[in-house]
Amino acid sequence: MTSTIKAYVRENGAVGVRNHVLVLPLDDLSNTAATGVAKLIRGTTVIPHPYGRLQFGRDLDLLFHILSGTGANPNVAGVIVIGIEENWANKVADEIAKTGKPVEVFPIEGNGDLRTIEKASRKALEMVQEASEKQRTEVDISSVVMSIKCGESDTTSGLASNPAVGVVVDRMVDQGATVMFGETSELTGAEDIVADKMATPELREKFMKVFREYTEVIEREGVDLLGSQPTQGNIKGGLSTIEEKALGNIQKLGHRKVNCVLDYLDQLERGKGGTLCFVNTSSAAAEAVTLFAAKGSVVHLFTTGQGNVVGHPLIPVIKITANPKTAAQMSEHIDVDVSDLLDLKISLEEAGERVYKYMLRVLNGRLTRAEVLQHDEFSPIKLYISA
Amino acid sequence: MPKGLVHSKNDDVCVATTDIRKGEEVICAYLENPSSYVIVKSESDIPLGHKIALRDIRKGEKVLKYDRVIGVATQDIRKGEHVHVHNIKSLRWGK
Repeated sequence: MTSTIKAYVRENGAVGVRNHVLVLPLDDLSNTAATGVAKLIRGTTVIPHPYGRLQFGRDLDLLFHILSGTGANPNVAGVIVIGIEENWANKVADEIAKTGKPVEVFPIEGNGDLRTIEKASRKALEMVQEASEKQRTEVDISSVVMSIKCGESDTTSGLASNPAVGVVVDRMVDQGATVMFGETSELTGAEDIVADKMATPELREKFMKVFREYTEVIEREGVDLLGSQPTQGNIKGGLSTIEEKALGNIQKLGHRKVNCVLDYLDQLERGKGGTLCFVNTSSAAAEAVTLFAAKGSVVHLFTTGQGNVVGHPLIPVIKITANPKTAAQMSEHIDVDVSDLLDLKISLEEAGERVYKYMLRVLNGRLTRAEVLQHDEFSPIKLYISA
Repeated sequence: MPKGLVHSKNDDVCVATTDIRKGEEVICAYLENPSSYVIVKSESDIPLGHKIALRDIRKGEKVLKYDRVIGVATQDIRKGEHVHVHNIKSLRWGK
């Protein structure tokens, strides 16, 4: 049976489950003015970040990809871009404008912060009122683009919360929806299993190329990642090696073929139907969720063992745990507790059903705990030093 | 009720699903068929989420979980002992 949800259909047909008016600073210097607008205008969401000056090459391309993708995210109704230099801000705004949603640029040079804040606030006021009239309409769940990731994992993640998410992933892909996963470094020791899930030899080769490039960076630095991979939290939770962590990690991928591989700068194709997509990301929670949202994810399922608290300013992050201690000690962060699966009191299918039903409520408008707690992490990935 | 779970029938370790005290008889159920189980006497305190050896593992032997190698024993490990970073290490990362 196919599910439907009530959601916002955007100008380009993309489906959002939230209705943010975004104030987007292009660079570190524009954070103050952007934050000033958000303080004046109720209903705006601002995403300060530390980058955007003197970046170059692939690193600059990636920042623009993330900023414009975030503005283009279907959970966003309209965007105010603020940048110190107008031409740079226009590059990002032009990309966002391709979605058909309202976007406007306010440069700081020649105006100063105060005039910029005033002009941008007047526009933001209009955008918020416009957005407030947008209605949710019934849409098929196949139009949903979602993402998955685990964090502060422990052995309970591999035993229960990740396989429960795997049940949801299968169900979403079977209904024609799109699911993205990543965590390149955290596939180490299970990369052959992921490679075997690729739908075509070409995808397999692209995936292995991305994986090898990541591994080469780690080897070139000559670092011993033990202690950061697995993390101290992972080790506290019983995970001993990267291989053990990776094998637990991939439990959430479900059983469908991976029919899409995206490197950092690749755009997700919409409307292919039934897509399971590997995205090259770091395994850092906020960085990965930020990149997924920039590629179009509108909801994120996040499993945690020891208790990762990550959220995102624009997309709901649903926190799932199977660790009964974490569920009790960090209850304000946990949306779905499947720890009874550890005691075999429920079946894996029942645990998956619990996560799926909760996700439907969130897609229809229920706020996640991360949203209510204002966990608004926005962390663009930086690839190398600036000029 | 089981106090531990085993991913696969060939695995060398059981994951504690509750805190376990030294000397306890632990029922470890197999996830592939939860009505089947093995009982192991715990030789150490094992915190929730940590692993117990299901057999004697000699130094240098590979350790299986998910029916896959998750690392190699850096010292002899007795059946029932805590298996963790103090006695196994990655074959991929770490010196």
